[in-house]
Amino acid sequence: MSELEAEIHRVGERLHAAFPSASRHPVKALDARAMELAARDRELRAALFRFVDVVPACRTLEDVARHLRGFLGELAEAPPPLAAAMRIADVRAARPALGAAAAAGVRHMAHRFIVGETPEHALRVLRSLWERGVATSVDLLGEATVTEAEADEYARRCGEALERVAREAARWPPRKILEADSLGPIPRANVSVKVSALTPLLRPDAPELGRRDAARRLAPLLRQGRETGAHVHVDMESLDSREAVLELALELLGAEEFRQGPSAGVVLQAYLRDSPQQLERLLGWARSTPRTPPLTVRLVKGAYWDHELVQARQEGWPAPVFELKADCDRNFELLTRRLLDARPAVRVAVASHNLRSVAHAIAYNRLSGAGDEDLEIQVLRGLGDELQDALAAEGFRVRTYCPVGDLVAGMAYLVRRLLENTSNESFLYAQASGTPLEELLAAP
Amino acid sequence: MTAGQGTRLGAFRNEPVLELRRASVRAGLAAALAELDRRLPLEVPVLIGGEERRGAEVVSTDPGEPERVVARAAAATPEEVEHAVGVAARAFRTWREVPAAERAAALVRAAAWMREHRLELAALEVRECAKPWPEADGDVCEAIDFLEYYARGALELAAGPPLVQVPGERNELRYVPRGVAAVIGPWNFPLAIPCGMSAAALVTGNAVVLKPAEQSPACGLMLVRALRAGGVPAGALSLLPGEGEVGAALVRHPAVQTIVFTGSQPVGLEIVRAASEVGPGQLHIKRVVAELGGKNCVIVDSDADLDEAVPGIVSSAFVYAGQKCSAAARVLVHEAIADRLLERLAGAVRVLVVGQAEQLGTDVPPVIERAAQERVARYRDLAARQGRIVAQAEAVPERGWFAPPCVAADLPAGSAVLEDEIFGPLLAVERVAGVEAALEIVEGMPFALTGGLYARDPSVVREVSRRTPVGNLYVNRGITGAKVGRQPFGGNRLSGNGTKAGGPDYLRNFVEPVVVTENTMRHGLVV
Repeated sequence: MSELEAEIHRVGERLHAAFPSASRHPVKALDARAMELAARDRELRAALFRFVDVVPACRTLEDVARHLRGFLGELAEAPPPLAAAMRIADVRAARPALGAAAAAGVRHMAHRFIVGETPEHALRVLRSLWERGVATSVDLLGEATVTEAEADEYARRCGEALERVAREAARWPPRKILEADSLGPIPRANVSVKVSALTPLLRPDAPELGRRDAARRLAPLLRQGRETGAHVHVDMESLDSREAVLELALELLGAEEFRQGPSAGVVLQAYLRDSPQQLERLLGWARSTPRTPPLTVRLVKGAYWDHELVQARQEGWPAPVFELKADCDRNFELLTRRLLDARPAVRVAVASHNLRSVAHAIAYNRLSGAGDEDLEIQVLRGLGDELQDALAAEGFRVRTYCPVGDLVAGMAYLVRRLLENTSNESFLYAQASGTPLEELLAAP
Repeated sequence: MTAGQGTRLGAFRNEPVLELRRASVRAGLAAALAELDRRLPLEVPVLIGGEERRGAEVVSTDPGEPERVVARAAAATPEEVEHAVGVAARAFRTWREVPAAERAAALVRAAAWMREHRLELAALEVRECAKPWPEADGDVCEAIDFLEYYARGALELAAGPPLVQVPGERNELRYVPRGVAAVIGPWNFPLAIPCGMSAAALVTGNAVVLKPAEQSPACGLMLVRALRAGGVPAGALSLLPGEGEVGAALVRHPAVQTIVFTGSQPVGLEIVRAASEVGPGQLHIKRVVAELGGKNCVIVDSDADLDEAVPGIVSSAFVYAGQKCSAAARVLVHEAIADRLLERLAGAVRVLVVGQAEQLGTDVPPVIERAAQERVARYRDLAARQGRIVAQAEAVPERGWFAPPCVAADLPAGSAVLEDEIFGPLLAVERVAGVEAALEIVEGMPFALTGGLYARDPSVVREVSRRTPVGNLYVNRGITGAKVGRQPFGGNRLSGNGTKAGGPDYLRNFVEPVVVTENTMRHGLVV
């Protein structure tokens, strides 16, 4: 076994030992059972997801029950608890109660992934995470932006979040690992923004149109980030908008005005086949555009895998994403190494729930002679909670991506997360279904 | 002619549209347009068999810049119509004898020719019809799809269906071509629709006289070039550019057996009437294949996902300035979410990019001609008087036949805005008590082309699917952009006679069945 593989296994085993035991989280164990049921049965999964998706659009509890009955009615064979729900739904008087129970179930599930419906509530969660040694990035959920007014409102909410989180964060107790690396201080307040919400003009075939319009709203946010000392992270979405998003971020962050801040970052999606070329482009930019602090690159697998594949199939295009998980995992590790080697031109955040990928990043970082503080690991609220706790316990800088917003607005996000959680391909599923640690840590 | 030959063609798959989200793919477009511009104006002759007559009686111009002449076309004279039908009737006698596999191969070669000239063809549509690039490219792909799809369909059709066989007799059913087909095309899908209509007729063994729309003669010429380059004999495919009277003369001609028309409802109904009259020497009942207009409704239930409904409705109503027969014209929205939908629709329409077709990112190009611009303006004024204009795109170029996209609401029942096919960027939104009320409106309409439904309750989706009279219902997506082989396309009621372009039954409209029964008993023995 190579030195790197040996180190990966050491790191992975230590992290795994630091995982909190499931029994201490009875509610999560319950959710996990529901997820497992959904993961085993494709039809049931589709029915449940379509139901979860429509709940916020239902006007009454009876309406909720009617939809539940409708989706379950499409199943060839419903599992016993659901068959009981269907019988109840057939009794008119019982429908509001069933609707209430189902809606509460969906809200409960949503709260696992969404930290709060309001900034006030979210701020309490952010503080308690910080105190436990976990940094955060706030993501404001919203409906799709189709109008100017919606773009303006999203920008306003982002500005408000930057302001409030920065103000609150100033009062948090010191957490050395979370607020500095060898290059200098790291902002406590961190907000992720979506370009698709900053403009109604994103067009795949005319990226400059959306870029120009979004720039009017992103530039003030960057100014505000610089003034309040908050980090602004530009999220990546589907491939349709990649060019607009990347050009926009690099254009603004390269401008003279923003060379000395704010701390800012972009995202690299490892599931894209051309991500190595994208990385070269990013690194080329970072080396020729020195800024303080350097650009943070968040490496992710990518959350639109189904969308990208289905769109490509429908249009007859070559798939832009890796279709095999192992190919994607290998690429993720390759990009991790290139990113870590490229420091100090960039700061690196590795976002993954895959224990192997995370252990690989930590191990490679250590073998390259860097300190643990020069690597950040990121996870998603609700999906990476256990990994988050283990990383914090082991003294790593872990940042949890925390969506804030109401159920209607969060639905697209929630469904994507549920799909991810119940995908047979997912690492979490493998982990939850008892795959031995040795296998989980094996090289892809 | 056998399944084996069909297999050799491989399974049908739609031609992939350009992946315009990639900069490298976009890079080629401007050069293709510049190359075309250097050659303008194009010349479109009358082509009858091997003969060619040039002229400039019909002129097509760029709707976005009306001074720019795209093509000068000869207009076919009554004598030329007569001559063309005669040449077609003679060519039919040999073309019908060509094996189906060879006719199909000609279509496949024509598709290959189009692929080679793909950007040039799309550029021509950008100029002659103001189709924005993605739409123009989509039209070229659809033309290729029709060629490839009908080539395969013709092989299947030629194999003939199985009949019941008993001892002592042999039964055989064959489909034979009808004769001369007059194809009268529209300008809004200037390559794909005439291509589908002509290819279906040709591959089943008919001879075609093609009359392209007067607004898009050059696109018609490119279609003839493609098919002839593929190996369709000159006599079997003539081109008669001209105005409406050329089409009318073809319709009346007693030696024309099939009339294939896509266009407006009044013209279509006039064709049906004229085709029912039997002229001197006429041997056939003329068959009319008609795709007429629509007044297409999108129903939005209270549980609809507006994040999807708003963009879906906006693109269905305003892409290509609403000049698709499938375009959304009315939205019937559940009152519980009507205000929210209207507010978001209005905001989305205000930011639509109205501009030149050649500009990537243009949502709404100019309409086809001055008369169309004036017609849309008349209906907009009427909507403002009878109801209110909720939103209108703000920046509209001054030159060119631009019509600002707008949304109207609060129109009284019976308003012409709600009943006429406007064929432009004007969308009416109506508040209804629920899906049932919306269905009743749809069921009461004479048009039945496309329809849309945004709803998530499976029982609502089932009920609307069951009761809708429209030819193509789209659930939880936009209502335009039917794909060959995936969404066979065409309307019912006064929107068309139910033929489905790009579907498995379409070729049957171009053939007649002949059944031969042979007695195989001789002296008490089966021989």
